[in-house]
Amino acid sequence: MEILDHIVDIFSNFFDPKKRIFFGYIFLSVLIAVLYLVLAGKRSLKESLGEVFSKPVLLSRSAKRDYFMFLINRSVTLFVSPLLLTKLAIATVIFQFLHTVSWIQKGMFDHFSTLLIAFSFTLFIFILDDLTKYIVHRLMHRIPTLWALHKVHHSAETLNPITIYRTHPLEGIIFTLRASFAQGIAISTFFFLFGNKVDLFTVLGANIFIFIFNVAGSNLRHSHIYIRYWRWLEYFLISPAQHQIHHSLEEKHYDKNFGATLSIWDWFGGSLHHSEISKPEKLGLKGDEFKENPNIAYLYIRPIVEIYSLLQNKIKSITSAFKKFLNFISRAKNHIFINKET
Amino acid sequence: MNSKKLKNAVIATATCVGISTLPSFLMAGETYGPFPITLKGYTGDKTNTVSYGGQIARHAIHDSLKALAKTGNGGDNAGSLAAEMMAYFGGSDKNKAILGTVDKGDFNIKQETVNELSSGKNLSGKAYKGIMNAWPGGMTGAEVLESMIMNASKTSGGFDPSTGYNYQQLISKFAMGAVFYNQAVDGYLDEKLSKPNSKPYKDGKHYTGLEHVWDEAWGYFGASANCLNLSAKQSYDIAKKKDMAAADTNGDGMVDLLSEYVFAHAYYASSYDKGGKTSYLADICGAFLDGRKLIVSANGEDFSDSQMSTLKGYVDIIASNWEKVIAESVFKYAGSVYKDIGKLEELMDSNGDTGDAFKTYAKHWGELKGFAMALQSGKNNLGETAVKMNRMMGFGPVLLNSSQVVGMNSSGQYIKDESSGWGEYKLHMLKIQKLMVDAFGVEAKSNDMISDMADLAAKLGESDSAEND
Repeated sequence: MEILDHIVDIFSNFFDPKKRIFFGYIFLSVLIAVLYLVLAGKRSLKESLGEVFSKPVLLSRSAKRDYFMFLINRSVTLFVSPLLLTKLAIATVIFQFLHTVSWIQKGMFDHFSTLLIAFSFTLFIFILDDLTKYIVHRLMHRIPTLWALHKVHHSAETLNPITIYRTHPLEGIIFTLRASFAQGIAISTFFFLFGNKVDLFTVLGANIFIFIFNVAGSNLRHSHIYIRYWRWLEYFLISPAQHQIHHSLEEKHYDKNFGATLSIWDWFGGSLHHSEISKPEKLGLKGDEFKENPNIAYLYIRPIVEIYSLLQNKIKSITSAFKKFLNFISRAKNHIFINKET
Repeated sequence: MNSKKLKNAVIATATCVGISTLPSFLMAGETYGPFPITLKGYTGDKTNTVSYGGQIARHAIHDSLKALAKTGNGGDNAGSLAAEMMAYFGGSDKNKAILGTVDKGDFNIKQETVNELSSGKNLSGKAYKGIMNAWPGGMTGAEVLESMIMNASKTSGGFDPSTGYNYQQLISKFAMGAVFYNQAVDGYLDEKLSKPNSKPYKDGKHYTGLEHVWDEAWGYFGASANCLNLSAKQSYDIAKKKDMAAADTNGDGMVDLLSEYVFAHAYYASSYDKGGKTSYLADICGAFLDGRKLIVSANGEDFSDSQMSTLKGYVDIIASNWEKVIAESVFKYAGSVYKDIGKLEELMDSNGDTGDAFKTYAKHWGELKGFAMALQSGKNNLGETAVKMNRMMGFGPVLLNSSQVVGMNSSGQYIKDESSGWGEYKLHMLKIQKLMVDAFGVEAKSNDMISDMADLAAKLGESDSAEND
């Protein structure tokens, strides 16, 4: 019975409208993809359906690794998540701390209307969530030890909605903690300043903005359907094409388009790259970065080995710097001693 | 062992096992008493061994003190009021009228005087004898209560605005702990369990030592004898004098305080249980009944080690749940005080009249402090938990000028000093709520100041977004 429950839990994300792979969102993404191919790509319905359900993409070796990692990672998450700091614990600590800040008072803005407060909270938490996702994602690319983990995701050579689960479990922990901190900060600050009127606008239980993002085909980010937005819109929202460029093997596409929903962060951070007419030729990583067609063991173990060797090098360089410092001190001492003797 | 002895041993063991495994719901229909005579060699005409009139008399004295504590008129009646209150608290000669627990509409109380319940009873001789560190002055529990009574008699309506002390609440909530809770868990259910079951409690009594000790502990809890047949709401409504039908089990049109009324912590247990998250009343009543039936099954013989071990299992259920009921009260009133400060801050910001809001705040603080002191009157030394709670709560509520009672001088007058401020004090209330959860595992959590935040956190869904975007 417990095993059955566990299996149900693993697949529960397909039935949770708070999750991107909710079957309703996947269905809408398929619909959008087909319509895009028919209307913008001038393809027949049959051709379009064939393209969307492309066997070489959905059943590629890379995709099969994604599906396998989905199963393993969901199991790991179910065990690890309860051990991590929760957003409520973080919110409680911040909420308590705010009582000690003399220039703010609890409920100081609770005279605003419930509607306005709820709307502000819903928008704020969406923006804070998206901003922190951008920052963490950028760091995953820029810091070598984090990049060692994030490479697992970028080793995908074909993209499909399940590729979001092609994530090293340690990276998953970082993402979970990010969500806890962002949401904990938003909840506590709003509760302190606006009192009990704080609420979240939801559709099917999901934040309305996240819902809109998902209904608008969020699953196409990780797909082979190259949908571009108008150039002006790509300054504000990341198009599926822009995210596929983020996965591109071409050097000019490196470290571009880190954003999750909004592209303004990339725009301000200098990492925005508009979509191009043709889709990226190849996705994934160079051979010297990561093994081609890695097996499951490699996907889980390689990052740990790489982090270990990075840290070892770091320790070596610190030790050698310390030794040099000690040598310098001893030479200086000898110098003083010799001078005194003479 | 001969066959008769073996048979008896098997029957006794089977009875013990049967009783100990009987779920509480199967006991519906059962009441706490009457229980038959088990004392060997008893030749009198009594048939029921249940007796806890002395404890009910003390409940009535407590209710009367609470009623008197608010009758001060600002000093004119101080002397006579102090004497009157002391007659209830420490006297034993006068047949006192029952105040507070009196008729209300069709809710007719059978007894009108304390002596109809039991004569010669008071509270002072049974109040907590240790030093109560949660109150200034380094006094014992009994001395604290006496000092509060004296101060209450000088106030108007039991409230002293200069310290923020609502003596009516302080006296009532602390007395429930210092007398009822302390006597039960630190006396009758502790060292007094060594009273023999093979001898009468006193010469000439028809009940055994163990039977009576158990009954006395039960009496202090304050539940009605038929508590297992009542819902928490019915039990609560009896204490509020709103449900005559539930109370009047023998149908004589009167509520007999000796068995049909709900007092003190049994009332608070009912109040939390009616929220549906806890079952303190049923658990405590069930354990008392189980224990009493185990004593009956011993049939006037002294307890074996195994029987005593089973009985102590019931004691653990009673003591831990009782402690939780008091901790729930500390949790609840810490929340009330937090909310009251918020209202006071708003009024002060808008230059509004703070008079009524301050009285409400002081009333809730009195309840909070009283329950906090009650919690420290039990069998367990709460150690660090008590220190933290007392420091955060302070000796007095933070007053409108941000001062607070910080001690007592040698002539018994309160000393005040600057507090750490309203914001900090509100934070202390939140931390006290958290302390009650961490140290005692309270579950009903009335007035939970972070529950709305918890609800919203739940609405946002799990944070396990362990996937790439």
